[in-house]
Formats: sequence, C-alpha cells, structure tokens
Amino acid sequence: MSERTAGAIVDGSPPLDLVGVRAAYGGIEVLHGVDLAVPAGSVVALLGANGAGKSTLVKVAAGLLRPTAGAVRVAGTDVTGAPSHDLARIGVCTIPEGRGVFPNLTVRENLWMATQVRGTLAEVEEAAYARFPRLGERRAQLAGTLSGGEQQMLALSRALVTDPAVLLLDELSMGLAPIVVQRLYETVAQVAAEGISILVVEQFAQAVLGIADRAAIMVNGEITRTGSPAELASELSSAYLGG
Amino acid sequence: MNDRIERLRAEAAELKVGRQTASRDGLYQAAGGVAMGVGVVVAFAAYQMSLGKDDPRDISSLVILAVSMLALAVVGAAVFLRYSLARFLRFWLLRQLYEGQAQVDQLVSHLGNGRDMDSLRRPYVSESDTYERRNTAEEADTPAKGSGG
Repeated sequence: MSERTAGAIVDGSPPLDLVGVRAAYGGIEVLHGVDLAVPAGSVVALLGANGAGKSTLVKVAAGLLRPTAGAVRVAGTDVTGAPSHDLARIGVCTIPEGRGVFPNLTVRENLWMATQVRGTLAEVEEAAYARFPRLGERRAQLAGTLSGGEQQMLALSRALVTDPAVLLLDELSMGLAPIVVQRLYETVAQVAAEGISILVVEQFAQAVLGIADRAAIMVNGEITRTGSPAELASELSSAYLGG
Repeated sequence: MNDRIERLRAEAAELKVGRQTASRDGLYQAAGGVAMGVGVVVAFAAYQMSLGKDDPRDISSLVILAVSMLALAVVGAAVFLRYSLARFLRFWLLRQLYEGQAQVDQLVSHLGNGRDMDSLRRPYVSESDTYERRNTAEEADTPAKGSGG
C-alpha cells in the first residue's frame, strides 16, 4: 500500500490513479508528470487558473487524450490508452467542460443515450426525474433550449443513471449563476455519499471546496500542492495570481 | 470497499487496452499511400523494361509484374482514400455538431430576448440599432431650437 499525492489509499488501489502523467498537444507538453489519486467515495477537487492543464488531465483520465508518458490506473489496472467509450462502459464517466448534452435532442432522447450503457429508458427516466424533478417537466424540450443549469442537471443525471464508479466533472460551474452552482454541488456531495468517487476540475475554487475531501492545486501542468480544502484555501490566491 | 468498486475492478481487469483507432487509421493511410506510389513506379518500370526484351517469356513476365503492380496501386489508392475520408468525415461531423450548436444558441438567444419565431425569419436587428433608429426619428420630428424665431 502506498501513499499518493491527493489522498490516502484506504482499501487497495484507488478507483482512479494517475501516475507520472505527461501529455502534449503536438510538440507542446502541457502536463509534466502529474500524480493524482481519487480515493473511493471521495471528492477530489483539482483547482488552478485558466490554462493550467486541468481539463487536459481530465481528458487523459477519460481516455480522450493518450498520455505521452505515465499511466492511468483504474482500480489498480493500467488502462493507459483505453478509448473513452470503453472507460465509460466500465464505469469511468465524464461530464465535459461546457454543455455535455446533445442540443438537438430532447431531454428524454438525451436520457435514452444512457440506456446504451445500462438500464431501460423507463428506469433511466425514473432515476433522472427523481433526482431532478425539473427535468421531468421539460422531458419533451430540446436540450439546447434548456437553461445552463438545467443542461448541467441533464448531463449529471445522464451520467449518474449509468451507475458509474468514477465521475469526472470538468468546470461544472461554467457560465452558471452562483445559486445554481451551489445546488449542483449539493447534488455532487450526495452522489459522493452514495460511494461514487469524483474528480472535480474547477477554476472557481470556492464553489467546490465546500464539498471536497481533498484538493490539489495545478500550476503550469504540474500539481504544486495537495491537502485538505481548509489547508489549501489560503494558498489559492498565490496559485491563481502566480505570487 | 463497495459493490461499485468491486464491479469497477472486475471490469477494468477484463478491459483490453489496444492502440487508439486514430493512430491505426494513420498507419493504414500511410501504407495505402506507399502501396499506391510503389505500384505505379514499379508498374511503369516493368513496362519500360519489357519494351527492351526480345524473348516473349521475359515480356510476359514483366507485363504480368506491371499488371500486378497496377492492381497494388489501385488497392493502395482505395485504402488511402478510405482512411483519408474517415479522417475528413470525422472533422465534417464535428463541424456539423458545432454549427448545430451555434444555431441552437442563436435560437435560444432570440427567444431569451423575448422575440417571437416570426422575427427569426427577418434580418436580425439588435436592440441598440432599434434604439438608435428611434432616437434619430425623434430628432428628425423635433423642430430645431431657435428655428422659429
């Protein structure tokens, strides 16, 4: 058993473990050997300024970008290079930055997509509308015409009905009102309490620190600090401002 | 730790990790291009060599080689085209998705501004344009100060 940077491994290998990950776009390396673990049933917040490499790390973890070095381990198995659809099928689910929904499909049709992984449409709808009743009221509405918060609810519920073990959230708060962000993160906290391991990438730290178990600060493609949210709260300004 | 993690562990262990499709596509595309080039060059060379031969058996051998190489060039061209198109069509699909999203965004922004669907069929006039036009019209209707004296 070993101690990793973002959280202690309590029981065997963590559900998601990134070891020495390097990644590049063309010839430009943007991740320079990142170590990050997401322990079972916990929320790990990855914070940093715009351009720090947070979303790139999520892409690597989700199988959307192949790392140039290092390893992505899921529950102890090296899955480096596995395509995103295979990772989604085994339970590593991603909600990408911005809108993670099909804008030209209705809410119901978006939820139907989740049945490709697990369950029937009736089961998926029941679970989604139970968690977010507002989606039930808008089931026949095009997803692109929903408000930003409702779109994130749809993306979140579509991910959750597949019963994932690991959830990767990239900039959940982007473009949303603070009250909506607060409600979404309350849901995220409930989800973590159900035993789902969550990696949250956020630019706006205050939104996520309230629910995170561990946090890490990323600067210029490297994780410079990890610790509890309380420990990191005071260091955030220097990380963001480069001071 | 819980059923979810156990399931993840079992399914991750069964996952077969191979090379990504995109890099394999690039390999096939390159192989197709090479086959196409080599086929054409060797076919031409074999045909040229056959012209300098007197023995019909040598000529037949070289012509057979030339035809085989032409076949290789055709197959290579097909493979090259197949994987070039796959890459192009992926970009095309992404572009379609992007444009679809942009259209929906435009629709939502119009509806958000309280416009009805009919207004979408007319050229878009911004609120600031309308305001400026109204002010210009009001100024034109108002007699200039001191003009009546």
